[in-house]
Amino acid sequence: MTAQIADRYDTTELALMVVYPLLVFAYWEVTPERCQQALEALGPEMDGARAVIRMYDISLIHFDGTNANHVFDIDVGLEAPGWYLHLWTPEKSYCADLGFLARTGRFHPIVRSNIIHTPRTTPSWRTDEQWMRVRFTRRRKPERTRPIEFVPAPSIGRQLSPEELRLEQERMRRSMSEAVSGYLGGAPSSEQGRR
Amino acid sequence: MTAPPLGYLCLVLHCHLPYVRHPEHENFLEENWLYEAITDTYVPLLRVMDGLVRDGVDFRLTITLSPPLISMLRDPLLISRFERHINKLIELASKETDRTRNQPEFHRLAEMYLERFLYTRHVFTQEYRYDLVGAFGRLQELGKLEIITCGATHGFLPLLSVVPSAVRGQLRTAVAHYEETFARPPHGIWLPECGYFPGLDESLRDVGLQFFFTESHGLLYAEPRPRYGLHAPAFCPTGVAAFARDLESSKQVWSAEEGYPGDPAYRDYYRDIGWDLDYDYVRPYIQATGQRMNTGIKYYRITGKTDQKQVYDRAWAMEQAADHAANFMFNRERQADWLAPGMDRPPVVVAPYDAELFGHWWFEGPEWLDNLFRRLQGSAHVIEPITPAEYLERHEVNQVCTPCGSSWGHNGYNEVWLNGSNDWIYRHLHTASRRMEELTRRFPDPDALTLRALKQAGRELLLAQSSDWAFIMKTGTMVDYAVKRTKDHISRFTRLYEQLLSDQLDLEWLKNIEDQDNIFPDLDYRNFS
Repeated sequence: MTAQIADRYDTTELALMVVYPLLVFAYWEVTPERCQQALEALGPEMDGARAVIRMYDISLIHFDGTNANHVFDIDVGLEAPGWYLHLWTPEKSYCADLGFLARTGRFHPIVRSNIIHTPRTTPSWRTDEQWMRVRFTRRRKPERTRPIEFVPAPSIGRQLSPEELRLEQERMRRSMSEAVSGYLGGAPSSEQGRR
Repeated sequence: MTAPPLGYLCLVLHCHLPYVRHPEHENFLEENWLYEAITDTYVPLLRVMDGLVRDGVDFRLTITLSPPLISMLRDPLLISRFERHINKLIELASKETDRTRNQPEFHRLAEMYLERFLYTRHVFTQEYRYDLVGAFGRLQELGKLEIITCGATHGFLPLLSVVPSAVRGQLRTAVAHYEETFARPPHGIWLPECGYFPGLDESLRDVGLQFFFTESHGLLYAEPRPRYGLHAPAFCPTGVAAFARDLESSKQVWSAEEGYPGDPAYRDYYRDIGWDLDYDYVRPYIQATGQRMNTGIKYYRITGKTDQKQVYDRAWAMEQAADHAANFMFNRERQADWLAPGMDRPPVVVAPYDAELFGHWWFEGPEWLDNLFRRLQGSAHVIEPITPAEYLERHEVNQVCTPCGSSWGHNGYNEVWLNGSNDWIYRHLHTASRRMEELTRRFPDPDALTLRALKQAGRELLLAQSSDWAFIMKTGTMVDYAVKRTKDHISRFTRLYEQLLSDQLDLEWLKNIEDQDNIFPDLDYRNFS
């Protein structure tokens, strides 16, 4: 017999998780008390208000609640257990508030999420280089504060040209989707239900 | 001093199975995953390595032994059940030699299986003395094998990281378990599902790990762009090294379409006598419920895209394995030729695979590996097999980059473990992780009984966190089992948490789940702080 578990924890929370660079999953829980507080705070403005997730793009800044690079709202159903949020740019940092948005435009937040970072989808254009010497320690753990020594870059070797980079990326995308579908998909390197 | 090679080959085999152990059932289908992996993969791989040592072949291989796998391989109950399993196989193979006595081409194969199973039992009991982990450990002591660790229960760290103490719990427990097992710390880690997120390297450094592996784009999309692409490791800003998977060599081995394992001469995994033969005849060797299943005896070769399979020809398959090893080496040499001129060091090709591909899925995989190492030895060091540890000793200077968040799952990010089939689990995993951290604060100095409950809470949390459950939910078979495991462990954790907080421990029940979920007997519950 499979154990039964509660689907709520009598808490108020909002969590964001990266699915892939353009998709984020959010789940939340709002206790009836916190929901009531929000309704009371909005008062008459509550009429026609929508539940939204307000996303803050906080890439490369120290977010103080007011200085987001960009803010946008995504309508959600408060009763739903979670929501998939579709985005349009990779490589960003976000946090979010779950709250009610009144017709007047006033937003009443209920709870703030964790911070997430969506990954890149292309090679970086940054080609500045730092090189480092790190001594490997065999059969024992390195000191947590082992010295890190920066050294000059090797004189040989070169960066790929933009064309080479694009080709490499194309090649990778192709072989990745093939290799991975081979792994997850069919014979002989996979079986449904186990690896 | 010998001249440096043209290139390095870093072969990595990832050995992991989820912790499946059900003393409450006499027979349990999912326990077969372990028994099949021992018979098909772990013993054959050990035999290959032992043979190479015996013949003076200077090979290098990196292997993950995940903590759940180590624990199962050392569990007396599972070991005794494996013996029962192999004895049944021997009985079946023996009947098969009899049944096929008038069909020479099948008879030869039946004899091959019988001999194979008898030999497996012999080496398992007599040579390895029921201790495969010890056998792997000895190869490590010889310097041929590098055993790396993994997440404590293969938790997918990018998605657990919503609660950072969950990541610490997975890593600290894994490293401590490795030290108990091998009496030395691990040098490196196979991140479960190759799942990396920026900042994870800080947690790796904190537990003394010096390298890890990423999927190709983890390094190719690193910031700044790495000069040597996938063919040299990069140091994270913490000094922990990231090695990235090479695409070309990966595809050659595990692509279903173009890879070696799909060759028509190789054994077909899916045609098994458990499905093909008369029901009453195979009845004692299939599921206790009477449902048919794979037995491990398979007589046909892949043949092609047809249902008309031809009978397996072992000699031909062995020739193909040798040819494919030669082809693999040839391709690595060409790859190194092409890469080396632009580098100040030999390029390294990192080729990681799920270990169970070798022997279990690709029956001839171990022989391919054997051929490959013997050929590399004979090739006057054009391509030299290497472990990450050796590489980092030889090449102490590397570029500093922050790898990109990535995994080796479909499309390269987190969607295999986070989608409509399994997204419901994370609310529970995160809540339990936060509660476990809370318990470490609330009980800094527990009495003996409370300590037992705290440890058990840690075990239940870790078992719930296995990425295997989310993976199985996604793939769609055995889903009930994965859901049950997730809910059972979450439920047990929650009950322990509530009992600890209300100071009302149910001793009899605690004893019961301690016996059942007995992984990590020496677990330190403070790992979750």
